[in-house]
Amino acid sequence: MSVFTLPQAEKEAVLLAQLSELTEHHRANCEPYDRILAASGFTKAESIADLPWLPVRLFKTLDLKSIPDDEVFKVLTSSGTTGDVSKIYLDKAAAAEQQKRLAATVQTAIGPKRLPMILVDTKAMLKDRRSFSARGAGVLGMSTFGRDHVWALDMDGHVDVEALRGFLAKHGDQPFLIFGFTFLVWLHLYEVALEHKLDLSNGILIHSGGWKKLIDQAVSPEEFRARLAGVGLTRVHNYYGMVEQIGTIFLEGPDGGALYCPDFADVIIRDPETWAELPPGKPGLIEVISTLPTSYPGHVLLTEDLGVVHGIDDGAWPGKRFSVLGRLPRAEARGCSDTYRSAA
Amino acid sequence: MKFRFGVEGDLTAPSDDRLAVGDPRVVDFLAKLARKLLAPAVARQHPELGSLGYFLRPAELKRSVERMTARQDALVFPRGNVFHLPPANVDTIFVYSWAISALAGNHNVVRISSRSAGAAEVILDSMNAVLADSDPVIGRTQRMVTYGYDDAVTAALSKWCDLRVIWGGDAAVDTIRKQPLRPSARDLTFPDRTSWAVLSVPGWRAADPAARKAAVVGFANDAYWFDQAACSSPRTVFLVGADGDTSEVRSEFLDLLLGVVDQRGWTVDAAMAVEKRVNAYGLAATGAATALDFPDNRVTAVTLAGTELAPRRWIGAGAFPFAEVGSLIDLVPAMNRQDQTVSHFGFTPAELRAFATELGGRGVDRIVPFGSALTFGAIWDGYDLPSEFTRLTTLQP
Repeated sequence: MSVFTLPQAEKEAVLLAQLSELTEHHRANCEPYDRILAASGFTKAESIADLPWLPVRLFKTLDLKSIPDDEVFKVLTSSGTTGDVSKIYLDKAAAAEQQKRLAATVQTAIGPKRLPMILVDTKAMLKDRRSFSARGAGVLGMSTFGRDHVWALDMDGHVDVEALRGFLAKHGDQPFLIFGFTFLVWLHLYEVALEHKLDLSNGILIHSGGWKKLIDQAVSPEEFRARLAGVGLTRVHNYYGMVEQIGTIFLEGPDGGALYCPDFADVIIRDPETWAELPPGKPGLIEVISTLPTSYPGHVLLTEDLGVVHGIDDGAWPGKRFSVLGRLPRAEARGCSDTYRSAA
Repeated sequence: MKFRFGVEGDLTAPSDDRLAVGDPRVVDFLAKLARKLLAPAVARQHPELGSLGYFLRPAELKRSVERMTARQDALVFPRGNVFHLPPANVDTIFVYSWAISALAGNHNVVRISSRSAGAAEVILDSMNAVLADSDPVIGRTQRMVTYGYDDAVTAALSKWCDLRVIWGGDAAVDTIRKQPLRPSARDLTFPDRTSWAVLSVPGWRAADPAARKAAVVGFANDAYWFDQAACSSPRTVFLVGADGDTSEVRSEFLDLLLGVVDQRGWTVDAAMAVEKRVNAYGLAATGAATALDFPDNRVTAVTLAGTELAPRRWIGAGAFPFAEVGSLIDLVPAMNRQDQTVSHFGFTPAELRAFATELGGRGVDRIVPFGSALTFGAIWDGYDLPSEFTRLTTLQP
């Protein structure tokens, strides 16, 4: 029951029709979006790459939704490093759909059954209101795919080796699920498993959250996989996703080393000078595309992440294989006002 | 605390040194500094230091001193101790502010941002190089320091000074003002400002190709030198006095502009290009903009729905909203106290004077030709700086 089935050409035909329809839907129901497209002179897309993209940061500066106020079921927020926050509006249908699609995507990797689960995080984090929205929502969202959860870190953020030993004694001989942010997995699970000789060979790891901190410690994605294999953890899936396209995650395939797009999503790499689509092998800015955003115009978004497509229809799953390479640094300008950025 | 210039020690200790208005020791120092900054190697790398060097030439200094001391109805003396808090991002402002104050004979302490770089470092190096050949009183009375967000230091210097000069915008002014001054002291503040460009459509049509090109070269310098983020950088371009379609004027202007940008090799990076999209889309989303053009990362053109919708916040480097207006007089209601510089092309002196008169000081402090927007002057933000930096004694025998 995979959601990674469509070869690229077939996918593009399906998506172009659905996304063009979504574009019209959002134009009809979200006036600011319609004004942006009108001012940019958009009429019709002949290809996925023609579809009008919004910079993802626009959801931090504007309220964009395609549903009436009384149908807002959930408002998701992301905390940014500079204090500005994306606001994503979901109605009941969109909220249900994103949860369903996320489940289908994750189950491609872990199978349909709920597995015992290690959360590489601390329960204390759920109480910290400020960090809750980003990290807590991620952990809570993923925790629904498991059962008999154990927190790998205690309330003080220290590794709870006894809890891990107990979990492994009980569930370690059957497949189990591990979820955590990449850096926490490296720091708190890998190193502890190594030191205490914990057997994680039945584990399936799902991790996310970017490589920046690991690359700062000179740990490449390849090395991360190799070292985890050293503690028996060979089923490892990184993923890439963002609150602005909630429900859509780009998942690392069983072959490792690259992310794949589910059938309802795609990526395009753009040249940051010409904004044209780049061919495989050329790094540029990542545009993420998904049919899930029906309640807000977030179906075609230009991220501020750099990435590269490695190949098309040539990996373990069909479609594009790509990697995230890092973040575009924030624009810095000179100016008389030291505070122009907060005003902008 | 790091001393960047001058003798290290207690900044607020009483001093026996006395400087006069236009003190020859200060004039000598500034003239030597000007020579360093006007050296071809420096000016090539940092063109903005050329304008600074020009400002500090002996002839210019002499004129400034003459203006300071010209009055007959009072004796002119230094104001006393002056504490300068220049902005972090415009590398040269601190020198202008300090140099006029030094020329007025004040003891100065300048807080240099720890984020200062590039041109500011060149200036400080030049100042320190010149210091060795100058009168030691300069190092004792003129000090430049870098310190973190240390309220205690700011508080002590605020109590020490007779005049506190705060640059850096509204938030900087509000923050620094929390530190009390002595009852006799006061603030000179430089809050957030916005600047515009006005282009006469008949004037443009009447100008020959060379004059149009020269105008755009000046405008390009004004706009791009500080990423269009200096208080004087022109942002919205008002096309004035059009009878009919202005699209050919605008597209010729933008073509010439892109040509200049190309020639200078100026670039706008991807992050800035995204920043401009975000801000331009924001203008479209609210209905302030009716058309957006992104011909190149270095130039973004925005068609505004009306003059009153011209944005007062920064859009990004190389972002030009355009609006049409019948005459300069029609533009007056859209101007307010936040507006600083209007740079112009193609108007008669009479039109400009009528514009200034109609504004009546309720907005716009400078009306200057294209290419002069960033040229610092002793009259700035509506203040006559030499007179702010001095005090008057009346004498009736």
